[in-house]
Amino acid sequence: MLRASAIAFEYQIDTGAIADPSIDLGVPGSTALIGFVDAVMGVSGDPEAARRTVIDEVGPEALVDAASVFGNFEMMNRVAEATGIPVAGAALERESITVESLGLHRFLKRS
Amino acid sequence: MFDFVGSPVPVRPDLRYAYIAAWNHLSRPGPTLTARSRIELLGATRRGEATSASRMVGMGQTLGELADSLYHRPKDVDETLVRAAADAEGDPTAVEVIAIVSILSAIDGTHRGLGADLEPLPEPIVGPPTGVITEGLKRRRLHVPAPPGPIPFTLDLLPDEGAAFQALFGPQYMTGWEMALDTFFREPGLNRAQIEVVSSRTSFHNECFY
Repeated sequence: MLRASAIAFEYQIDTGAIADPSIDLGVPGSTALIGFVDAVMGVSGDPEAARRTVIDEVGPEALVDAASVFGNFEMMNRVAEATGIPVAGAALERESITVESLGLHRFLKRS
Repeated sequence: MFDFVGSPVPVRPDLRYAYIAAWNHLSRPGPTLTARSRIELLGATRRGEATSASRMVGMGQTLGELADSLYHRPKDVDETLVRAAADAEGDPTAVEVIAIVSILSAIDGTHRGLGADLEPLPEPIVGPPTGVITEGLKRRRLHVPAPPGPIPFTLDLLPDEGAAFQALFGPQYMTGWEMALDTFFREPGLNRAQIEVVSSRTSFHNECFY
């Protein structure tokens, strides 16, 4: 979905940035948004500073959106893992380059 | 309720109303659990004490282990853990715990994202479990019984829990028709590509393809 929406907005993206933030993803504000997720999840960075960066670089409303999307995927990831829903084979084939570049094979359960 | 105390920015009304509705849902008797059991389990889960507290709220320890792991260590949740809870307490109760803990994770996650104080859990409403459970579903290749279809339907063994889960998609992420638009954007706010940056990085850290 990231790739499709980036194409729609005519961004030139490198999805490897999702696994490696040193890479420029190519989506406006993505460095601030990735830093926000990392800080809130306790991976790296100070959450308060990360929130301020999102507000300053993307906007105050963007912080609400970022927080709620984060909350949504905290929920979706848990439902996916607990129910064991597999990823459709067609989706895997469509996203094979992304799966390879991000090293996602270890997360996958194919249907 | 849901004043997001501590947030550096105001919060959209639709998100606030969605969370009030979710809180009201959690405060009511569920398909297999009383409201008191639901709220006590969620309180213990927030504290990371559901495993030890589960017997006090009339549940087996495996359900408490499932709740604690799902909320605090989702990467540890696997078929063995879910099946142990389901085998001990029944598939519907296991799905109910998955549903209410996942909904709590969403709402608490948004609060953590905003740096806001967590909302106190609601007071439970007295009454017996509703018993509303879909008949005839099989596990197929999942850990729990569910109808065929994508992830929004995976909790539909319990229709009311599934509906509460699905009701959060729009305010938190996108509605169904918005998801069909690669050019969706909130004005002011994030556009679809920026939304997917947050979803992708969150899922990456949770080691979940979704």
